[in-house]
Amino acid sequence: MFEKRLYYHIDWAMLAAILALCVIGVVQIYSATASSGQTLYVTQIYGIMLGLVAMVVCLSLDYRSLADKSLFLYLGVVGLLVFVLFFGVVRGGSRRWIDLGPLNLQPSEFAKATVALVLAKFLGDSRRGALMRGDLLIAGAITAVPFLVIVRQPDLGTAATLLPVLFAVAFVAGMPMRIFGILALVAVLAAPLAWKFALQDYQKERVSTFLDPEADAKGAGYQQLQARITTGSGGPWGKGFQNGTQGQLRFLPVAHNDFIFSVLAEEHGFAGVMVALGLYLFVILRALESARLAKDRLGAYLVVGVLASFTFQVIYNITMSAGLAPVKGLTLPLMSYGGSSMIATLAGFGLILNVRMRRFTN
Amino acid sequence: MAVAEERRRIGTRLVSLQVGAVIVFAALGICFWTLQIVQHSKYEEMAANNHQRTLALRAPRGVMFDRNGRVLVDNRNSFTISIVREHTKDLSRTVELLSHVAGLDPKQVKQIVDRHRGEPSYRPIVVVEDASLAQVAAITARRLDFELPDVVVEEVPTRKYPANALAAHLFGYVGEASDTQVGDGVMQGDIIGQQGIERAYNKLLMGEDGARRVVVNSTGREMRMIDEIPPTEGRRVQLTVDYDLQKAAEDGFRNAGFNGAALIMDPRNGEVLTYTSLPSYDPNDFAAGIDRVTWASLNTDKLRPLQNRVLQGRYSPGSTFKIVVATAALEEGLVTPDFKVNCPGGATFFGRYYKCHLKGGHGVVDMRHAIEKSCNVYFYTLGNMLGVDKIYKWAQKLGLAGKTGIDLPNEQESIVPNTEWKFKRSGERWYPGETISVAIGQGQVSVTPASLAVMISTVANGGTRVTPHVIKAVNDGNGWKSVPAPAVADHVAFKPETLAALRDGLWMVVNAHGTGGRGKVEGRDVSGKTGTAQVISNEGKARAKASGKDLRDHGWFVFFAPRDNPEIAGVIFGEHNEHGFLGAPIAKHVIETYFAKKEGKPLPVLQPKDGAPVSPEEDPDSPAVFDSIEVADSRSGDTVTLASR
Repeated sequence: MFEKRLYYHIDWAMLAAILALCVIGVVQIYSATASSGQTLYVTQIYGIMLGLVAMVVCLSLDYRSLADKSLFLYLGVVGLLVFVLFFGVVRGGSRRWIDLGPLNLQPSEFAKATVALVLAKFLGDSRRGALMRGDLLIAGAITAVPFLVIVRQPDLGTAATLLPVLFAVAFVAGMPMRIFGILALVAVLAAPLAWKFALQDYQKERVSTFLDPEADAKGAGYQQLQARITTGSGGPWGKGFQNGTQGQLRFLPVAHNDFIFSVLAEEHGFAGVMVALGLYLFVILRALESARLAKDRLGAYLVVGVLASFTFQVIYNITMSAGLAPVKGLTLPLMSYGGSSMIATLAGFGLILNVRMRRFTN
Repeated sequence: MAVAEERRRIGTRLVSLQVGAVIVFAALGICFWTLQIVQHSKYEEMAANNHQRTLALRAPRGVMFDRNGRVLVDNRNSFTISIVREHTKDLSRTVELLSHVAGLDPKQVKQIVDRHRGEPSYRPIVVVEDASLAQVAAITARRLDFELPDVVVEEVPTRKYPANALAAHLFGYVGEASDTQVGDGVMQGDIIGQQGIERAYNKLLMGEDGARRVVVNSTGREMRMIDEIPPTEGRRVQLTVDYDLQKAAEDGFRNAGFNGAALIMDPRNGEVLTYTSLPSYDPNDFAAGIDRVTWASLNTDKLRPLQNRVLQGRYSPGSTFKIVVATAALEEGLVTPDFKVNCPGGATFFGRYYKCHLKGGHGVVDMRHAIEKSCNVYFYTLGNMLGVDKIYKWAQKLGLAGKTGIDLPNEQESIVPNTEWKFKRSGERWYPGETISVAIGQGQVSVTPASLAVMISTVANGGTRVTPHVIKAVNDGNGWKSVPAPAVADHVAFKPETLAALRDGLWMVVNAHGTGGRGKVEGRDVSGKTGTAQVISNEGKARAKASGKDLRDHGWFVFFAPRDNPEIAGVIFGEHNEHGFLGAPIAKHVIETYFAKKEGKPLPVLQPKDGAPVSPEEDPDSPAVFDSIEVADSRSGDTVTLASR
């Protein structure tokens, strides 16, 4: 199953960058939580180890045979999501987790890679050269099912990460640019209507807070303003490991999770930010390179699909960490605390490595 | 070649994705550059404001000692409960919860908070001063539970005054600086002296507040200290007053059963030994901020406990003024002590008949006996010879006119009339007939107890008008430095015969057949003079009876001891006590205490008063015995009612 020569085609550089980001994450989780006696960093290390196991599993199976079974995976994940909707653990007002004793499983994290796999398979199998409108509709439907279920949890943030998967795969698969144009136009036109009819008051507040966070520094704008202060006060070289005041003294909430990048920016400054951004960019460019080298369309689409939700989350979270985007419960892949996310992300990279590794096989 | 074309398309789109990723990351890099490098200092300051909090450490005020080193005014620690709004998310919730926990009225708490709303949010708003231990415990428990993170409990030094409101008007009280008091080293929220020594010597006593910078977390909990500037205690001061004499005077009043004032000093240098104004207040009530109810009751009390009678009460000096007239006549050389006047019970001046208090008259009296008996006719005669301006001149030299210059705030000027004063005031010339009533301390003469104390001291020491003062020494941190006595205000060396006559007369008042017999202390040669300050004329009294005001006369007793080389002199003012001689026992008790202390003997204990308060002896000062006299105002035809003495 795992031929020895494949071993030489593993993208070691990307893997190293990924592991480096994981290490930075663990260090920052330690910094943010160890002083209050928590051992979350240990849990995170377990998460990484489990993730590496998942990665090896995803690496060892040929992605093509995985893609063949993607429908079952898809149905399984959708089933889990529906199960969560009824029997999941409620935390912070939303139902996202399955209680597995020592750890909680968040199926929506796994939905991203699965949707990528299904879309890659579906569009990759398409015999026609160019993408037909029908294909797009089906692809849209494939994405919409888990999307809507996750929205119901409710977890708009995670649900939103499925959309980049659809668009990225469709884009690479040759979706005409004018359709993107039409979609963009529709989005712009729909925005005021959504503002008026669809958005809840608290969501409107978030948006207006984003536009002027200092107007409501004690209320909704608090986190965003604190994120900006945290980042800005880090300066060029940072305040030093465990010396950040914003994160250590909890002016910034969930510093080990959503705002881990702010903590990094505070304690290690612009220099630390540059290193982390560089590693992320390297991983992304390297993965896109893998897509280009992929032996078949399926492989390319799969890489792009998996990478799309990753990239979207990275960019959004980092922007939010700098206090430049509305606060949304989106974690930073590879660095934020969270087992499910780590396992799913590493499993996803397993698939990406898989595609690159098997570029010469038949 | 569809496959190749497709590969190319995929390749192009992937490259564009790569380019897009680079652009986005470059944009992110620029954002971080802006935040972390360009705007770094701004955010650094905001972060510092977030987690650093400066707490004021209130300096204890300087301790006050009596002249023998006994602690009079000290500090104790009390707890204040304050709200720091800096990290408050829901102020009304905090107010509600705090009120509930500490048992306060939420409305009042809200009012307090509203009053300070304009101040910077890091400055604590004091909600409870001098909190009870139960309140402190309740708040502290909630703080630990993070329920009241924005409420702080601070331990602050608070003034502690002796029990029984001893010398309250001397010490004064402290209170938060009002807006007009801010400046010159006084900051908003500072506790400063508002009355008495606390106010006069506020700069010395105040000390310098320290500060502690601490790191707080997002819930306002103190995590660690950055640095601390310890507060500097206010200067320690030694007062001239003697605790035992002060207590003796106040015990004396309590025993006598009336209110009033007393200022007793060392006539040689003006050091104030006791300073009493009754009724008084408890300065402890002010120390941690006075509550509204107490403040209102102090202000509306008919007995006016907030009035510092020693310096602010102005009364007619009555017969004590005869000392001034006698001095003036002798020193101006108009008469000798042997000058005799026949008193048939009254005399006519300027067409009017002025009565003496003794119906049958004193017969022929000389200066000494005139003082002893307080003969009105004798002093009418002297007054008529002197004229009002000479009387004024000597009143001033003795310290009875104007201010004494004591080192305490809010002193009133004592008024002794003269021609110029009257013309300025009313545009009218002085009528010689008015001088006759001035000669016995009536008419427009209106003086403070303090000025009478200076007058009798000047007589006692032979003509040196000393300035009364209350501070003896200050400890500036490097040991005690004595504070030099203020400059002598005026000095005239009395002629020996003047001094002898005055001392003899005043000695006879107490030790012979005069009115001050109750002040006699065996072997101490107490000399003195009683007087009555009429609150209202006898006729007016009848008219005003219905008003319900206390219209009874005030009594004076001025004294010094011993007769030769006096060491102690002063005034006892008895409010509405009707008879000046009733103040004499108070003086006696103080004098006895003074000498017992000086000679190391056990201090006398005042025996509780026996039944009869009013003496059976004749009181020549009491206007009740006599009719009023009428002086016609020759110009207007109005009648002015005066009481005879």
